[in-house]
Amino acid sequence: MLSKNLRTAALLLIAAPLGLHATAERLTSEQMRDASFLDTVSIPTPGEFFLAVDKQCQPNWSKLLRPSAPASTSDRERIALQLGMLAADGFMAIEAQDGQSVKNTARDTLLLAKKLNVSQQIVARSQSISDFADAGNWSRLREELDAMQNDIRLCLLEQKDSALVVLAMAGSWVRQLDMASNLLAANDSSVSTALLVQPEIASRILSRVENLPENSKNRPIVKQLSEGLQTTSALMSQSNSSLSASAVQSIASTMSAITAAAAEVDSKK
Amino acid sequence: MKRRALLFALSLVAMAHAQEDKATPANSSPLAWNSHDKSPRSLALELAAGNEGEGYQVHDGFWSGTLTKAEPILLEVHLFAGNDYRFSAANVDALSQLRLSIFDAWGYPAGQEYSGDFSCSTAGISVIRSGRYFIRLVMTEGDKADTCMVYSYK
Repeated sequence: MLSKNLRTAALLLIAAPLGLHATAERLTSEQMRDASFLDTVSIPTPGEFFLAVDKQCQPNWSKLLRPSAPASTSDRERIALQLGMLAADGFMAIEAQDGQSVKNTARDTLLLAKKLNVSQQIVARSQSISDFADAGNWSRLREELDAMQNDIRLCLLEQKDSALVVLAMAGSWVRQLDMASNLLAANDSSVSTALLVQPEIASRILSRVENLPENSKNRPIVKQLSEGLQTTSALMSQSNSSLSASAVQSIASTMSAITAAAAEVDSKK
Repeated sequence: MKRRALLFALSLVAMAHAQEDKATPANSSPLAWNSHDKSPRSLALELAAGNEGEGYQVHDGFWSGTLTKAEPILLEVHLFAGNDYRFSAANVDALSQLRLSIFDAWGYPAGQEYSGDFSCSTAGISVIRSGRYFIRLVMTEGDKADTCMVYSYK
């Protein structure tokens, strides 16, 4: 019997040149409405998003990187948001091919993860990131960062911190939009606004945030996040496939404000 | 004829060994598959690893569950223009047949299927329009099997 390897090779060798077109029938609107939405598959990774941005306009990624310094806070909701944002920063640093920034991001992630009691599970991952960053192995770094996010998610779920999982996911998405909308708002017309139009994702994340437990929802940062997601979701839902300049500006200022608020130190709360 | 078939088989074996070598580096990747592990996820990752030579990056997220012939799975995804995607699914029932298809936001078939065989299936798309897409996983032969789907992008 052919091994799976052989079957894989044979499948690609034989089927790929044929370019077999799908002959499946059209999906009905009911089928599409009832389709499963799985956070870990249905929401794109920062790596996919930044790759698409890079193909469109090759921005100066180094200039887009933030100075690395996680805020000193004991607010677990804010820490979770920051963790998500750091993941996006890490992918940006990879696009910039800036190994030191990737290492700084991994170090900061470890510091924040420690505050949420999930650092033990990612220590080895952090070391691998450091090694791959030194070697300039950008492809492996993407995989490691992706896996680190997933490890943190699984650990938080294990300790029944599902609210923090939602906030980390939201933080990553906010930071991605923050970067891309500000790029567009700075009149970089080479980037299509279509990349920003993600109404289904906006509404899913908003719904998750609105369903958080009351004690999480009442946090000032979560309230700000929820309001920002409502604004963004409404703007995206009004759009077909592109956004007006004023809509882009509005998303940019909303996302930047959330990013800045997440990074504030406790005394400014 | 026999000799040509033998040469073809040998070239496939060489490719398979090359993949195995790649999958066990000193500092192994979090998504490296293990040729001894026959879980659906490992098989799906093994299938996806076949795309790495073309520059595809495997994403850590995956769908897994029991797929039955009566109940196809339809998953919503968001894909970005300019990126290429490959979706790979596999299960542990060698006698079953899987079919993976991609549909656009209007429900029309999109991309290409590299399917039609066995208990593993791949579909790919070069995205021109960013937005919502749907991935359908159907068991065309067999009753039910634990199945896993992963995706790669470049």
